[in-house]
Amino acid sequence: MIEVRNLTKWYGPILAADQITFDASAGRIVGFLGPNGAGKTTTLRIITCFMPATSGTAKVNGHDVFTESHQVRSSIGYLPESTPLYPEMRVEEHLHYFGKLQGMKRTDRVRRIDALADRCGLTNIRRRLVGQLSKGNKQRVGLAQALLHDPPVLILDEPTVGLDPTQISSVRDLIVELGRDKTILLSTHILPEVEKTCQSVVIVAGGRVAAQGTPDELRQQVSQQTRVLVEVQANPMAAKEALASLPQVDAVETNDHDGWCRAAITPKQADADIRTEVAACIAQQNWSLRELRHEVASLEEFFVQITSEQAQAKAG
Amino acid sequence: MQHTFTIAKREFTSFFHSPVAYLVMCPFIFFAALLFLLFQFQPQQPAEMRNVFTQLVWLLVLIAPAISMRLVAEELRSGTVETLMTSPISDTAVILGKWLGALGFFAVLLSPTLMLVITLEIWASPDYGPIVSGYIGLLLVGGLYLAIGTLASVLTRNQIIAFLLTGFVILLFTIVTYFLPRVLPPRFGELAFYLNVNEQYDAFSKGLIDTSNIVYFVTAIAMFLALAVKALETRKWR
Repeated sequence: MIEVRNLTKWYGPILAADQITFDASAGRIVGFLGPNGAGKTTTLRIITCFMPATSGTAKVNGHDVFTESHQVRSSIGYLPESTPLYPEMRVEEHLHYFGKLQGMKRTDRVRRIDALADRCGLTNIRRRLVGQLSKGNKQRVGLAQALLHDPPVLILDEPTVGLDPTQISSVRDLIVELGRDKTILLSTHILPEVEKTCQSVVIVAGGRVAAQGTPDELRQQVSQQTRVLVEVQANPMAAKEALASLPQVDAVETNDHDGWCRAAITPKQADADIRTEVAACIAQQNWSLRELRHEVASLEEFFVQITSEQAQAKAG
Repeated sequence: MQHTFTIAKREFTSFFHSPVAYLVMCPFIFFAALLFLLFQFQPQQPAEMRNVFTQLVWLLVLIAPAISMRLVAEELRSGTVETLMTSPISDTAVILGKWLGALGFFAVLLSPTLMLVITLEIWASPDYGPIVSGYIGLLLVGGLYLAIGTLASVLTRNQIIAFLLTGFVILLFTIVTYFLPRVLPPRFGELAFYLNVNEQYDAFSKGLIDTSNIVYFVTAIAMFLALAVKALETRKWR
């Protein structure tokens, strides 16, 4: 659905996107993840034909964004960052206006707007002025506007920024629901959002693609191993010695925490779960135990690791 | 073409949602009436609008930039340009639509001056020919100034800069080309004189609709709008 190949964009002397390459196949929700200023918005603007790339190509629905811009623009529903809308228009007027620009007939527009008002929760605010709406409601209007012409591809640039937690989860639900029959490219710098909604992830940092794959694949790439964390009432030195003597254990780090010893135990085998062995060892030593936890590396750590590597590479 | 009218209609209605429209309208109507009372509605004066028209043309130097300054600049500032330009419409439709919307608003702005014509009709029997041609001329001058303003508005996201830039270019076509012939050799002087908007408008206020004047306005409008389309296109490359 979306094919991006070696997309590069220079803003004068500044390199905003560097050889970005990724695919978003039909019917998938792809998370486009990266810290602020990573080149997410630049890439999305090129895909939506808002501006041309310095080099490289992008295709949406088989059409090139540069040479077949009209077809691309008709097949994309785009919600730009910060949801720009005309404040002096009423919600319904606004939707009709953009429907007309998409070349929709009046009857189609009326039917579609009725359906979307329901779906996006606009029923009570249809006659309100856009300028007087709350941030969350504006976001809904923007989303309805992007969905108006029923495009096969949706491009959403940070759709949940500035929303309260309930609104975030309702927007997320809507995105997941839409993802059943549309290709969605969702840009965000919030990780849990990606973990909850996306079937695949593209991580960009410093204008480059740092990693891509499904969330599970990415989690497996995390170089940091799984660990077992325990808190016991024992002498840190003794605890370290006892735990390190277990055959499955590779290394133990301990520190003192208000009289309790906190130990992080790394198994020899990266994905092994050694909680039972650790528990047995503690029981044998007769220490009081207040926490025993198996820690799996989160996507978050991976994200932090990847983006800081990129930042360092750039600085160096 | 349909998109052009869609954009023009939105632009036209949005003028009435902004205080600028009323701030422009009030002084315009006030000065139009004042000029009418001072120069036209006097004993011994012929029943015509000519004096009002020739003065109103000067008022347009201030009015037109105030109308056109927000056309594209506002969209650039608020970011709505992003949703607009990613809709499947051409750059030409955007510029033409914006200009037509502004021209429509300008026509509405002119309409209260019809009251002055009615006043003339009540007190005397005016000759409608020159009045009609005067209005056509005013629309053409307004159209030209708004086209200049549309271009300026594409060039900057700052409305004040757009206003000043438009005013500056308009002054080139009015005051500068008026005084320039005095210092230039006659051949160039004639050219400068030809470019003067007020000179071109004069015929209309007399009741003369000359093809050469119409050609002047239409080509100038087309040129500035074409430049605006190009400027909008190059915006993407920066």
